[in-house]
Amino acid sequence: MMLRGYRGGDARLLSGPWPAGELLGLPVNGRPALVEEAAVEPPRDAAVELCIAPGAAFVRFSELDWTARRARLEIGMQPEAVDAVAMLLKTAVAHGFHVLNLHRLYGWVTPAADPPLAVLGDAGFQREASVPSGNWLGGAAVERQIWGAVRRD
Amino acid sequence: MTDPTLTDAAATSAVESTRTDIRRLDPAAAAAHLRAAAEAGRGFLGLDPVTQNDVLLAAELTRMRAQVFRAGDKLLGSVPNPDQPRQAFVAATCADPEPLRILLGFLDTRQRCSSFVAMVPDGAPSAAAFESCGFRQVGVLRDHRYQAGAYQDVVVYHAESGFVASAHSEDPCSA
Repeated sequence: MMLRGYRGGDARLLSGPWPAGELLGLPVNGRPALVEEAAVEPPRDAAVELCIAPGAAFVRFSELDWTARRARLEIGMQPEAVDAVAMLLKTAVAHGFHVLNLHRLYGWVTPAADPPLAVLGDAGFQREASVPSGNWLGGAAVERQIWGAVRRD
Repeated sequence: MTDPTLTDAAATSAVESTRTDIRRLDPAAAAAHLRAAAEAGRGFLGLDPVTQNDVLLAAELTRMRAQVFRAGDKLLGSVPNPDQPRQAFVAATCADPEPLRILLGFLDTRQRCSSFVAMVPDGAPSAAAFESCGFRQVGVLRDHRYQAGAYQDVVVYHAESGFVASAHSEDPCSA
């Protein structure tokens, strides 16, 4: 799986039925049809690095800090591509560490959305914080966690 | 029978709290005050006035929809959690808990925040203010900052509004 820069024709990949702002944005089981789809904006400047896995997902590096060499990682997978999430996450981490030359990647994870936490561990992420009431899901405030990966070389 | 000395002391404390002079700053003024705060301002709401210029600081504060307040030479700030409207990220530049209590009371009663999160650079004096206000540590972000030639951790604190110690309902915007 490869990542490339965002193009105008990729717009449909920027929204989907996942919780907003998640490290692993995957479709949520039992999600009411009336809930608005999550979406990210097309890039307007260099403050955000938005990449595309063609036909499958977006990978966004936001809150970039070039002094601390860190970025928040967000991924939004289209429902038909969820089987590729493990490979995509490893590709995203490699892009962050070796193409963008970042030292740290982190993201928000909502356990109530039932993300595949083992995939995060396999890609080098560790749970670093558990914030009570950090997200709103299914009509209630739910715990949200911060997972981080640090480059050691 | 109630000791009148204690009653007077409580009343005096309340009056002093009410008189705490907290003023709201616009993004440009907040950036200038952050720069003036020097070391104490590093890591405030994730910003760094040493490595970021005033224009960038003001733009980031605007993008985050941050509210910044000044109490004397101390700065306080809050940013709404975009994914949970009842939660706010908060920051302070000092170890004094009293201005922080006033900010938390304002966010609770005037902006309906029911919980608060603070991300504090490891070893920063402001950690004492959060702990005094009832915050508890819920995690550590590894190597989250870079300062003085080395990566540093950031400690994550959390508090529910009902557990914030002695939060007063005051309006820092009334000045």
